[in-house]
Amino acid sequence: MRAGTIYLLIALVLLGISLLKEKQRTKEAIKATVKIFYVVMPVLIFVFVLMGLIQAYISRETITSILGQKSGILGILYAEIVGCIALFMPPAVFPFGGYLHDNGASYGSIAGFVFTAILIGITTLPVEIKFLGKRFTIARNIFTFVLAFFIALLMEVILR
Amino acid sequence: MKKFLKNDVFQFLSLSVIITLSVYGLNAEKGAIVARTVYNTFVEVLDIVVAVSIFIGLFQVWVKPPTIVKWLGKGSGLKGFILVCTFPILMGGSLFTVFPLLKTLKDKGARTGAIASFITAWGGKAPLLPLETKFLGWPFALVRLSFIILFAFVMGILMDWVGEKSI
Repeated sequence: MRAGTIYLLIALVLLGISLLKEKQRTKEAIKATVKIFYVVMPVLIFVFVLMGLIQAYISRETITSILGQKSGILGILYAEIVGCIALFMPPAVFPFGGYLHDNGASYGSIAGFVFTAILIGITTLPVEIKFLGKRFTIARNIFTFVLAFFIALLMEVILR
Repeated sequence: MKKFLKNDVFQFLSLSVIITLSVYGLNAEKGAIVARTVYNTFVEVLDIVVAVSIFIGLFQVWVKPPTIVKWLGKGSGLKGFILVCTFPILMGGSLFTVFPLLKTLKDKGARTGAIASFITAWGGKAPLLPLETKFLGWPFALVRLSFIILFAFVMGILMDWVGEKSI
């Protein structure tokens, strides 16, 4: 059986349990699910188009030379910077990361990209400052970038 | 109508169509590559995305923000600290949705480090595991999730240190 089918079955079973426990909440959950899907899918499709563009115009050699194992530390840094400025929402990060990996990017680079794409966002900076303060925001984003670098490096060593 | 045109969903979809068609117009062969990539990936992930949306939807209604705040308390003490480094891994959402919740935690007296640990652990994104394993495999996903806990832990210690100093 396809992995997707299994996940879907698990999700439906959980939905069934939720329905047995509380009808009203389950209704809310279904509404939330539809809304999440409606927001996420178009962004995913847009990311698939980006993947198609890379497939059509950028050679595997180019990706390998920038983000591959040989590019090492610099590759991780490039990937982290892309992650910081990419406006991806989390669900789009993994298909894009996997795609880059299939085309020659190292696990370390992908890890750096995934960490910063989820945890650092140029667009979310003003919101973070508003809610948590300037000092917190600056310190958190710098530490995240630096720690993500070392963890990505470790992951490269472990997974290569 | 105006509201519809400004809608993110509409913008992303129309942008996708415009780009694909323009590439096709410039070079039919390359356009076909783009279209095929989009179609193949879409078919591959559709059921996974539906499943993930259900996971996140269920989590949202069964574990509401007040519950989270109650559970985590101030995030102090070893137990609280371990909790803020692990529990948020189970949550969905984007940074935009997590900041208001953290503000509430902060107002309730959570330490600076606990808040930073929370955000980092939230980056674990366990509900997205079906997508992550599909595209990057189980070894990557498991190693990344383990490191996220360590990441959150170190982050908390560093941010508590920053929180105490006044610049």
